[in-house]
Amino acid sequence: MLTRRVMLRGSAVVIAGAGAMPGWLARAAESADSPGARKKILIAIFQRGAADGLNIVVPFADKRYYEMRPTIAVPAPESGHSQNNGLIGQPAIDLDGHFGLNPALEPLKPLWDRRQLAIVEATGSPDPSRSHFDAQDYMESGTPGKSTSDGWLNRALPAATPETSPLRAISMGSQVARTLRGDRAAIAVNNAQTFQLGNQDTASILESMYSATHDARLSQPGKDAFAAMKMIRTVNQQQYTPAQGAQYQQGGELGRSLQQVARLIKANVGVEAAFAEVDGWDHHGNEANQLSNMLRQFGTALAAFSTDMGDRMQDIVLVTMSEFGRTAEENGNGGTDHGHGNVMMVLGGNVAGGKVYGQWPGLEREQLNEERDLAVTTDFRAVLSELVGGQLGQTDLPRVFPGYQAGTPLGLLRT
Amino acid sequence: MKRSLLLVATATIAAATLPFLSLFAAGTPGPFETRLPPDRRVIQVLNRLTFGPRPGDVEEVRRIGLEKWIDLQLHPERIPESPVLETRLEPYETLRMDFVTVLKDYMQPQPAMAMLQAPNLNTLMSQEERRKVMNGTAEERRAALVAMDPEKRKQVLLTMPPTNLESLPEFKQEADDARKAQQQQMQAEVRKRNPPLEDLLAPEQIAIARNGSPEQVKALFDELDPEKRVQVAFRLPPQVGAEFPGLRREGMRAQQPQQLVSSDLRAGKLLRAVYSNQQLEEVLVDFWFNHFNVYEGKSVQNAALSYRALLTSYERDAIRPHVLGHFKDLLLAVAQHPAMLYYLDNWQSMAPDADDRLQVGPFARPFVSYAVQQPPNRQPHGLNENYGRELMELHTMGVNGGYTQQDVIEVARCFTGWTVRKPNDPGFIFLDFMHDEGEKTVLGHKIAANGGEKDGLQVFDILAHHPATAHFISKQLAQRFVADEPPPALVDRMAQTFLKTDGDLRAVLQTMFASQEFLSEGAWQAKIKSPFEMVVSALRATGADTLDIGALNQKISDLGEPLYGKVEPNGYPLTGDAWLGTADLLGRLSFATALVTGKVAGVKVDATRWDGKDAAAISRDLLGRQAAPETLEAISPGPAPASLAALIIGSPEFNRR
Repeated sequence: MLTRRVMLRGSAVVIAGAGAMPGWLARAAESADSPGARKKILIAIFQRGAADGLNIVVPFADKRYYEMRPTIAVPAPESGHSQNNGLIGQPAIDLDGHFGLNPALEPLKPLWDRRQLAIVEATGSPDPSRSHFDAQDYMESGTPGKSTSDGWLNRALPAATPETSPLRAISMGSQVARTLRGDRAAIAVNNAQTFQLGNQDTASILESMYSATHDARLSQPGKDAFAAMKMIRTVNQQQYTPAQGAQYQQGGELGRSLQQVARLIKANVGVEAAFAEVDGWDHHGNEANQLSNMLRQFGTALAAFSTDMGDRMQDIVLVTMSEFGRTAEENGNGGTDHGHGNVMMVLGGNVAGGKVYGQWPGLEREQLNEERDLAVTTDFRAVLSELVGGQLGQTDLPRVFPGYQAGTPLGLLRT
Repeated sequence: MKRSLLLVATATIAAATLPFLSLFAAGTPGPFETRLPPDRRVIQVLNRLTFGPRPGDVEEVRRIGLEKWIDLQLHPERIPESPVLETRLEPYETLRMDFVTVLKDYMQPQPAMAMLQAPNLNTLMSQEERRKVMNGTAEERRAALVAMDPEKRKQVLLTMPPTNLESLPEFKQEADDARKAQQQQMQAEVRKRNPPLEDLLAPEQIAIARNGSPEQVKALFDELDPEKRVQVAFRLPPQVGAEFPGLRREGMRAQQPQQLVSSDLRAGKLLRAVYSNQQLEEVLVDFWFNHFNVYEGKSVQNAALSYRALLTSYERDAIRPHVLGHFKDLLLAVAQHPAMLYYLDNWQSMAPDADDRLQVGPFARPFVSYAVQQPPNRQPHGLNENYGRELMELHTMGVNGGYTQQDVIEVARCFTGWTVRKPNDPGFIFLDFMHDEGEKTVLGHKIAANGGEKDGLQVFDILAHHPATAHFISKQLAQRFVADEPPPALVDRMAQTFLKTDGDLRAVLQTMFASQEFLSEGAWQAKIKSPFEMVVSALRATGADTLDIGALNQKISDLGEPLYGKVEPNGYPLTGDAWLGTADLLGRLSFATALVTGKVAGVKVDATRWDGKDAAAISRDLLGRQAAPETLEAISPGPAPASLAALIIGSPEFNRR
């Protein structure tokens, strides 16, 4: 078998295999060297369980927030606001005098200061469902109110050519998430070893088998599959030190996922879209502590990724979302129930950050959705459309979000 | 080599021009006209009428004779069922229950935790006390609270809005303490109902439960009392848990009975597919369920948790009895099953003026179906076209069948009133007052006014006899059993049979199985196996012993075909392209290796059966015939026999049928 040592930017990747280096890999390697030709990357992060946006980005200037959350509200930043009512816990981190970050998201503050973090308030779906399952379904498929089997991010990818990398779309997890399911090939990457193909011999033999087969319909997917798998393995076998001292360890599962994504991006294998998820945001009781713990990991993971990618963040955008928000008022158990409007975060070097976007609907009873939840004033598809257009160059937005009429852009990206 | 190339080339050209050429001359026969050699015919039949040959199946079919064997499969009542299957199915009691019992005994929501209910201020305090505490001055409030006994005060403090406490700092601590205590009580209650392993076992026992071998775990169980055994079994990691399916099931029944119902449903499907001797019936149940797809997770108001409990009955009572019967009977049974009535929303479809008539005569409340009891602003009132549309688009005529939007509306009108009785007994009922009694025109047929329930039956009559239906159903069957693009001539002949026999599905299948196309080169290995088919055929081919289906179910889901999990009514695709994603193919390959090396929880494979055999021999064992030369070449020089088997199961050949 022929072995080729290919120097890709930043890391040496050894490709063992019969025949020439795959075209897509050569193309990806080439473009890595010329930043102008480099593809941009969009990473979607789903917080499953309906994350409590009001306690994540705290509307501390709105007195109703404290009225409705006597025990679980995050205290206002220590700058003279006297609405704390003796709440326990660290104060919010002031962002702009109206909104603050939950203190557990402290690692994201530098991103805000560097204007690489934008926040969009009161976002969500026009569909009123408060079923986790349905709402996640609608958000991932990008068709609220209607179940579609493929996902918005998959539809956002341009059609594949023979040069398209099989690693163009990676879904962190044991299977490809709905967001990335569809016509365009996507691959699931597990933090543990997904592709247990027995020993190396078995894997090599299977690869030869699919290379040599006369079965036209199976040989191409076969070849792509092995190329992708080998690439991931090879990348992961390298020693990896995150750049600039980035620390993923305290970032939990998301930290591990984002580190894997970072490694693959840096290996220049042609990643353009990625998906990761964090479970467990459904805080019906004892929210304050649980949310803090989760946010600590969440913020650490995102910040570590950003630090690790360094200059390359210019080409990358991460967007966070959750299927709906939670009730504005706390319930009797120190928690909140299913709501509607929520917050989305957009991070990246090219993001017009340091600003809270969207129209704050207010928390007075008549301003709330069904008198209980934060209302939605920006459709989540508005945010995603802009990012899909700007990052993936997708101009056919009706294909990505059928039935959606885009309004005035928010201006989330600089260029 | 050259000859077959020439044949392929000619066949390709011939296939393209076949319809025209065959009219004029007996030109070179196309692939669908070229009969398979005898040894391949047996394999073809096994690949198509079953979920894949088991060791010994090829010999059995040869012994019985091909035509006779096919005829037997078309009459499953003549085939003695496998005793292994019956033993394996025994523990899954919900498979045999009617849905009313299942709803009652398994699907009740967990009892609301009493603590979750905030104490009602109205019952706690007298009116005077309440006035003082809620609306009085700070002085009055203080006095009232001080006068209460501490227990009562605690409850009141828990429920009072915080603004009322603002000027009473001396009670703030008490209020905080009360809240904390309540939270702790709740957590304790949750823990008691759902104890983690830490509450059940000593640390060294936990280590065994989490990481021990099945033998060690068994020894641990012998030490525990029965109740604890069940609780621990339910919390074992999947790999080990699969070794104790009985205990784990007990745990599930106690903790999460709803999950038991879903679990049983999948066990039934998988075990039957693997073990049943009445294979064609199983293949047909899979096909027709998919044709009349419903989604397990359908969200129905007032039936949110219970919908999934209906699927067992749907498959068993509405689909299975009719797969070899008349299409119109299948159509009716499906339409009247609550699973379909809910899934396509027909249960709440009603005439626009139905509400007005609720006030009148025998249909005044409280005789009203719960379909109309919902608050008006939450429940759509009026016609719901969903079932009407899908009935024609997906169930009968097909999207190009020639119906119009107006037909959709008219059909929907015919089915108004076809609904369910009530949430815990959702059997079919026809409710007059929901029904649109006007005259309707469906596909050119006039349906007289005031037909009541007969309107719907007339629609079925029209659809079941429509040529478009005959054609659509025939094509779908041909796609499943012959090729992704079945020859139009075959589909036409099947459609003729359909129309001539009043939709006798057995007759249509007979036409298909007896056709030259079915046993032709064109149909040979023409289908890509779906994930379910791939997994089941691997279990059958390797003679695997399937004891627990949890891991298998997860695998099939990971490969892209979650059982009972297709959201859209069109079901999973009948053609192969959907299954060829990068991740999917690697998933199949990793399953192949895991299966043969004993790494699939709940499944045991005896790899010694392949000892001493080379790749060619093993391929004959698993595929029923020798693998392609390229495949065998890639395998040699050979690894160990178990690996050989894994490689064959992972081969392109094995992924086709």
